[in-house]
Amino acid sequence: MSQLSITRRDFLRQAGASAVVAAAGMPLFAQQDLKKKARVVLIRDRNVIDGDGELRREILDKMFDEATARALDVKSPSEAWRQMVGPTDIVGIKTNVWRHLRTPLELEATMKQRIVAAGVKEENIGIDDRGVLSNPLFKRATALINARPMRAHHWSGVGGCLKNYIMFSPSPPDYHPDSCVDLGALWKLPAVEGKTRLNVLVMLTPQFHCLGPHHFDREYTWPYKGLLIGTDPVALDAVGLRILEAKRRVYFEEDSPVRPPAKHIAAAEKKHGIGFADPAKIELVKIGWEEGLLI
Amino acid sequence: MISLLLLCSLIAPSITPDQSLMQPLLPLSIHQWKAFGESRPYAGQEIFGYMDGAGEVYRAYDYRELLTQRYVHPSQGEILAEIFDMGSSRNAFGVFTYMQGRGPAVEIGQDGEYKNGLLCFWRGKYFVCVMTDNENEPAREAILELGVKVSEAIGQDGEKPEILHSLPKGRYLPNSLRYFRGKDILNTHYYLGEGNLLCLNEETEGVLVRLNEDRSYLLLVAYPDTEKADSACSTFVAGYMPDGANEGIVEKKPGKWTACVAEKRYVAVVFDVPDRERAVHSLESLKGRLP
Repeated sequence: MSQLSITRRDFLRQAGASAVVAAAGMPLFAQQDLKKKARVVLIRDRNVIDGDGELRREILDKMFDEATARALDVKSPSEAWRQMVGPTDIVGIKTNVWRHLRTPLELEATMKQRIVAAGVKEENIGIDDRGVLSNPLFKRATALINARPMRAHHWSGVGGCLKNYIMFSPSPPDYHPDSCVDLGALWKLPAVEGKTRLNVLVMLTPQFHCLGPHHFDREYTWPYKGLLIGTDPVALDAVGLRILEAKRRVYFEEDSPVRPPAKHIAAAEKKHGIGFADPAKIELVKIGWEEGLLI
Repeated sequence: MISLLLLCSLIAPSITPDQSLMQPLLPLSIHQWKAFGESRPYAGQEIFGYMDGAGEVYRAYDYRELLTQRYVHPSQGEILAEIFDMGSSRNAFGVFTYMQGRGPAVEIGQDGEYKNGLLCFWRGKYFVCVMTDNENEPAREAILELGVKVSEAIGQDGEKPEILHSLPKGRYLPNSLRYFRGKDILNTHYYLGEGNLLCLNEETEGVLVRLNEDRSYLLLVAYPDTEKADSACSTFVAGYMPDGANEGIVEKKPGKWTACVAEKRYVAVVFDVPDRERAVHSLESLKGRLP
């Protein structure tokens, strides 16, 4: 192999190093001042899932609206959406369709409604997961909304907001080494960089434990009945991880951090400079049901 | 004779030149489920196209080929069968242990588990998963029956890794056993930190278990020779437990002792042992069982 050749993995390592250098001089994530804390809104409602395990749409909508307004620090959800998108935008909603624990269809529908209400033409809104790279609308997207459930993951520790963008990579396996430590680099891809307006980490029934690929067992989920909403994907994942690990402590009756450790969350701050993982840099706003809060 | 030939053609279809050598392991039908479409083989990085990042586990255990087949029923959900040629029985056993603990044991293959519409087992050099998203009684019966047929078609058992003989029989949680070769797999079960402190590679093999009496962890790694074992032990002690470097034992957290020893071509480590004496005792008794 020529000494001048460079692999994609080399590129990821170098991109990380340059991010650290760049972070010293300028803000790297568009909607967040490095001097400020990242605001994360945790909203919960004990009735959002009924006794039969059914999602109650009207409560979900209310939670989503209230948390969105608080996340953007404005008076109403409509004002928040008008800040995020406008009539000229083409908006891609990056969802997650994993068959055992997908982004709720009700939430997708609500997000789309709110975007339409903010003036975006319905035909300029797309919802996709695995097809984002080939989806014509996502190719033209000027704004992205990122929404997925939080779950334990056997290779990266957890799957959250950061990992949800792996489908924007033409070569996802490039992000697998070292427990997927470089997932933060996804957020610098041209299809993504600077476009994300809002992140939603769905914590309605998170999965706190798994044994190997594609493992899902309701035994390892619980009705947390929450949403985490904010503009910083790193901060959302960091808070979500703390909740998952607190649940694991309760369930396993011992300290039981996720394994492998979710290194990519801290690395997204320290190496890739796309948000804050350090709790001291996160302003956590808690709204609603407090029982079993775990954080 | 004609009916026997017909039966054979239903159970073990002949293979064409472009088909996988594993094709005969898959029946054409099971109960009312019929094979739908052609089976699909995957090798190397192709596995990522089929199962995304999940493929890393099989690659870490050096899988050779994956063959998948869908089965459809007129009124029930699909059943999916996946057969992995892992190249050796050690790797097939290893990948099974990577994810064991998902459900109650079933007597299919050499070790098997079934829960919530997912059957996993290993036999010989094969690891097999059969699953449905729509579990009910007929689907459960069909999945288990399909597993039995695949296991019968495999025909031959494989040897379990010799290193297991050194474990303290009956003193560990069977579902906690993880057999592995590289550090990535170990780190998903017990995280040792950055780097490769135990110098794990394709020449090494290791086994991790959790002990019954105090839920501490026992890790045993085999190296090609004594020199490599001694060197790995020194690297591990220096990197993981520098405070206990002289004695190879340290209290990492209150009530959580870690101890490490090299013996012959092995390195043994105990983690999270509640007191020093037990940590020493665990390692001493393990040393006595090494070949």
